[in-house]
Amino acid sequence: MHLLSHIAKELLLLSRDRAGLLVLFVMPVLLVLVLTLVQDNVFRATGETTTRALFVNLDAGELGVDLASGLSATGMLELVEAFAGEKIDLARARQAVFRGNYQFAIVVPADFSVVIAAAAESAARATLRGDSVEIKPAELQIFFDPAVRGVYRTAVSSSVQRGVISVAMANRSTALMRLLSTDLQQQLDEQLQPYGASGLVNIELPEFADNWLEQPLIELQEESAAPEKFPIMPTSVQQNVPAWTLFGMFFIVIPLAGTMIRERQDSTLTRLLTMPVSIAGLLGGKVFAYLFICLLQLVLMLLVGRYLMPLLGTPQFDMGTSPRALALVAVSSALAACGFGMLVGVVARSFDQAAIFGSVSVVIAAALGGVMVPVYMMPQVMQAISVVSPLGWGLEAFLDIFVRGGDLSSVLPQVLTLNGFFLLCMVVAALVFRRWRQGA
Amino acid sequence: MSDSRQQHVIRISGLTKTYPGSSHPALDHLNLEVARGLIFGLLGPNGAGKTTTISIICTLLRPDSGRVEVLEQQMPTAAAAIRHAIGLVPQDIALYPSLTIKENLSYFAHVLDVEKGRRAERIVACLDMVGLAEVAGRRIDCCSGGMKRRANLAVGILHEPQILLLDEPTVGIDAQSRHLILEQLRQLNRQGMTLLYTTHYMREAEEICDEIAIIDTGRVIAQGTPKQLIAGNPACESLEDLFLALTGKALRE
Repeated sequence: MHLLSHIAKELLLLSRDRAGLLVLFVMPVLLVLVLTLVQDNVFRATGETTTRALFVNLDAGELGVDLASGLSATGMLELVEAFAGEKIDLARARQAVFRGNYQFAIVVPADFSVVIAAAAESAARATLRGDSVEIKPAELQIFFDPAVRGVYRTAVSSSVQRGVISVAMANRSTALMRLLSTDLQQQLDEQLQPYGASGLVNIELPEFADNWLEQPLIELQEESAAPEKFPIMPTSVQQNVPAWTLFGMFFIVIPLAGTMIRERQDSTLTRLLTMPVSIAGLLGGKVFAYLFICLLQLVLMLLVGRYLMPLLGTPQFDMGTSPRALALVAVSSALAACGFGMLVGVVARSFDQAAIFGSVSVVIAAALGGVMVPVYMMPQVMQAISVVSPLGWGLEAFLDIFVRGGDLSSVLPQVLTLNGFFLLCMVVAALVFRRWRQGA
Repeated sequence: MSDSRQQHVIRISGLTKTYPGSSHPALDHLNLEVARGLIFGLLGPNGAGKTTTISIICTLLRPDSGRVEVLEQQMPTAAAAIRHAIGLVPQDIALYPSLTIKENLSYFAHVLDVEKGRRAERIVACLDMVGLAEVAGRRIDCCSGGMKRRANLAVGILHEPQILLLDEPTVGIDAQSRHLILEQLRQLNRQGMTLLYTTHYMREAEEICDEIAIIDTGRVIAQGTPKQLIAGNPACESLEDLFLALTGKALRE
């Protein structure tokens, strides 16, 4: 079948195609690096880690400082209160946010402590009297950069809200406890006055611990639904590395289809078809050569995730717990990518057609398959359509291994679908080659 | 089997072929016999059916009807065996542009099943024959038109085929390269190879071919040695005169 000769020739041709190699290796590395880092930052902005914010404290009292501590204590906000050692005023803060240097600023008004103390006192008195509570709240301002997206704004608002609640609750409880003690003592004195002579007046009232409100009654614990034996946390790296690696692998369509079209255009295919070669050998040579390239891409991407990404501040990529399942999914995905390349190579009539159709179809398949936006976040109609994307099948299988602790049995459906797609593409390619040889 | 039958390496009878979408047949009951050891010229204007005939002989195209025998083996049943016995030098430079001349020859030597022990020797011999030994490491896309034509020829003869089909092998090259190629074709013929050769250069055909068939609208309209054909038409002084007399002066598409 001359398989080895065909493979060697394909690899030699690829090694001379610098633009093709650039597409195959540099582009996926850049995709994985840039998009994982970008998405990692989005995760951070939506509450995974600290976000920097300007904090303008105009309050004359202590509550402004308490609020700053409360906000910092949430662990999600890093407050910036001074520029080069100089305390930030309202105008500078507003300008810095408007220019986009910071995404938002929190401004504590001058009467913050006074208003909150008065409000807490009024609320406590009304509560003890059983009256309805009507208080004038303190106003805390947050200035947002107009370019900030809604999700980011919501995440930051909820972080500030958490800090504000803790300050408000502390003040309410302090006022309530203080009034409660005084009120209770007063009522006891009044009620026990007749027995004062017997010495019952010196009752020691219970004291409330200062931090009784700080102890949460409900604690929220976030935990992965993966099996207990599976120790990997679902980070943006675990989800992005396989997604963009698959995207890069499917870009093999362009050089593969391009080689096939060039062979047709410069008549080397015509010459080959007049020689004692089998169509299976011709197609097999291409598949094995490009399969090897795809697997090289995959290994490179996984190594980037494991060793390069941590240097840029992301968590280390974990390869999962089933190397056999990983190998099977890798080969099946690579075969599907090669099959798609062969299909485009026999259907397209020119290199331009193959390049445009190949790249656009891969981007569409990637979008449908959940590479860019998770399938579960898509509208129902798109979720239904997404099942036709080979990238979606591959991604589902990779995520099974990398974030769900999947093994051979759990990835089998996707593996079968990927290989079925590959076989279908190869049958079409073989039929077209046969037609070319027989000049039908 | 008669002697006359054994002498013919290609026997074509009643060959027809109409391409899909075309109202006129490319080949219309074409009959042709090529004797062993000849340089046989297949001449005709554009669209006469030369390339279609060669494509059918080299197993690339299936005829609508008719009988084709190559080396006494019938098409299409013996297509695989025929592919081993023929060599093709197509009109286009059918080589990988980003590979060197030697890499191209090496790949095609594998594909053509040249014996492993003789592969290197055959590559060197073919490179020597077409005068490319000193530039064997040059990429095809860095070669001149003449070098590409010679490399194209070298691939066709790597496996020492019994029949070499050449589709306009000297188109678009300078006089020196053309002279060298024609010289090599004569040498191959002297070694016993049968050559079926198409060209638009009448003087070249007159100079090199032992026998010529002129075809037009898918049929053979004249066949014989160049001298016989010219002698049979007293008004014609050259093969070109004869060709124009037979096929007319109207432009073809």
